[in-house]
Amino acid sequence: MNGGHKMERRLFLGMGSAWAASVLAGCGGGDTDAPGESEALGAGSGSMRALAASPTNPKARVIVIGGGMAGATFAKYMRLWGDTVEVTLIDRSSTYTSNIMSSMVLTGQRTLASLNYGYSTLVSKYGIKTVFGEVKSIDPVLARVTMASGAVLTADRIVLAPGVDFDSVTGLTDPLVMPHAWKAGAQTTALAKQLAAMPAGGTVVLTIPKAPYRCPPGPYERACLLADWLKVKKKGSKLIVLDANADILVEKDNFTSAFLGLHGSVIEYRNNVEIDHVDAATRTLYFTGGGSLRANVVNLIPRQRAGALVSAAGLANATEGRFAAVNVLDYSSTLAPKKVHVLGDASATTQPKAGHIANQEAKVCADALTRIFAGGSPDPAPVTNSACFSTITMKQASWLHSFFQYDPVTGAMKGVPAGSGASVGWNSDGFQDMGIWFKALLGDSFA
Amino acid sequence: MSEGNTIMSKHIARRIRPVLWAAGLLLVSSGVAAQTTPAGRLLASNCFQCHGTNGKGPGFETLAGRSSAEIYEKLVSFASGKEGQGLMARHAMGYTDAQMKSLAAWLATQK
Repeated sequence: MNGGHKMERRLFLGMGSAWAASVLAGCGGGDTDAPGESEALGAGSGSMRALAASPTNPKARVIVIGGGMAGATFAKYMRLWGDTVEVTLIDRSSTYTSNIMSSMVLTGQRTLASLNYGYSTLVSKYGIKTVFGEVKSIDPVLARVTMASGAVLTADRIVLAPGVDFDSVTGLTDPLVMPHAWKAGAQTTALAKQLAAMPAGGTVVLTIPKAPYRCPPGPYERACLLADWLKVKKKGSKLIVLDANADILVEKDNFTSAFLGLHGSVIEYRNNVEIDHVDAATRTLYFTGGGSLRANVVNLIPRQRAGALVSAAGLANATEGRFAAVNVLDYSSTLAPKKVHVLGDASATTQPKAGHIANQEAKVCADALTRIFAGGSPDPAPVTNSACFSTITMKQASWLHSFFQYDPVTGAMKGVPAGSGASVGWNSDGFQDMGIWFKALLGDSFA
Repeated sequence: MSEGNTIMSKHIARRIRPVLWAAGLLLVSSGVAAQTTPAGRLLASNCFQCHGTNGKGPGFETLAGRSSAEIYEKLVSFASGKEGQGLMARHAMGYTDAQMKSLAAWLATQK
């Protein structure tokens, strides 16, 4: 393993040593609005001034519901690429809290506030309109949105990017008692508090739901990170990972090695264990088919489905009615192809549910609508990619990458084996790269 | 990357550029949509998550301001495994040669 680490370090450093100077330049220069940036954004899309204001005479109007990785990226690129398209972004909150990196709030390495992103740059730079409030319902035929306030908004197209909702768990009336912390916010704070209050020598349980769920490597990553933290802060503690799936789903070599080797004294991994119900008062989990487990802290990540708006609109027609089937050339719902598009974690595709690839799905959709509004058709051969980093310790990370090409035979995005794979081991360079990646990704989505 | 390969790639790129130009003109002449969606832009946007919007950072290496040939050659080098088996090598291995040329040509328009 050490040899592997050494080699991996060399490979990381070898990722273009000739460009090392520009890495530094890219790092230091982009934090704030550099003078050159407005010029850059205006290139090929009319002047920056025109982009910064919502068009007075729009050629088309689009409403985006959900301002996460997919929704924010879509709104930005629809304005950047679509000529005089009016874009209105609706979210219940005026702040997005990144799920990416949020497991590090549990170990005290980051604050929740450091993961907050607002929409002011999307408004000021790209002329996006925002509405903050609860959506009551959408009409997929008329492309009409009714707000809880009673306000009604109409558009040519609606883009749904509501993320995921969680199945309720029998016996868990207050979800904060056994937090999932899989949607960053109050859930994350609750779990962090429980972990901090736990005595040394305690037992933590982390449950992994049946796939598909948001961020496939995420639970395994969190298990590694927590194990590393427990070793330091809560000596003698155990972390029991209960996986409803038959095996580790992704990056198996790294996570197996970490579970059995590096964190073998802390982590116990059990596959094929599904939670049937819980007793919240005693923090006891009861398994489907028998068996139970009591713990000091339970990080219960339930099964997931598209955000409620998708099923309420009758568009959750895939994955046992959990997610929305879409045409991956433009992410239109197969049930409302000319009116409603579903992006990111809420859609059912062959691609993982994760922020990086949701950003790319959003660009594919924005590009397709740009073409459609100009009387053309979507790009017939879209490409998407997913990259992510996993904290194997509090200071080291691995990486995972997958690459997809459109397959006209199946009409699906098809994984390209040569473009998909993971690091051999993990190291501190990976951790550093994770920070650069996170900043770049969130910048591409929100600024 | 050996000098021989660099020269070879540059040579190839020089021969390819007129072809890309011709393909671009063909697209422009075929309809209004092509005018608003430059060839290679959507492909190139796969770079933005790590290299910033339009390749202008923040992130890893800044891609804007580089020539089409330089970007293409670097991608070819990554895809060949010469730069190791890092994340960027994996990424480059996903593209077809035509896609690498197309996205490199678009990125070269970003100054």
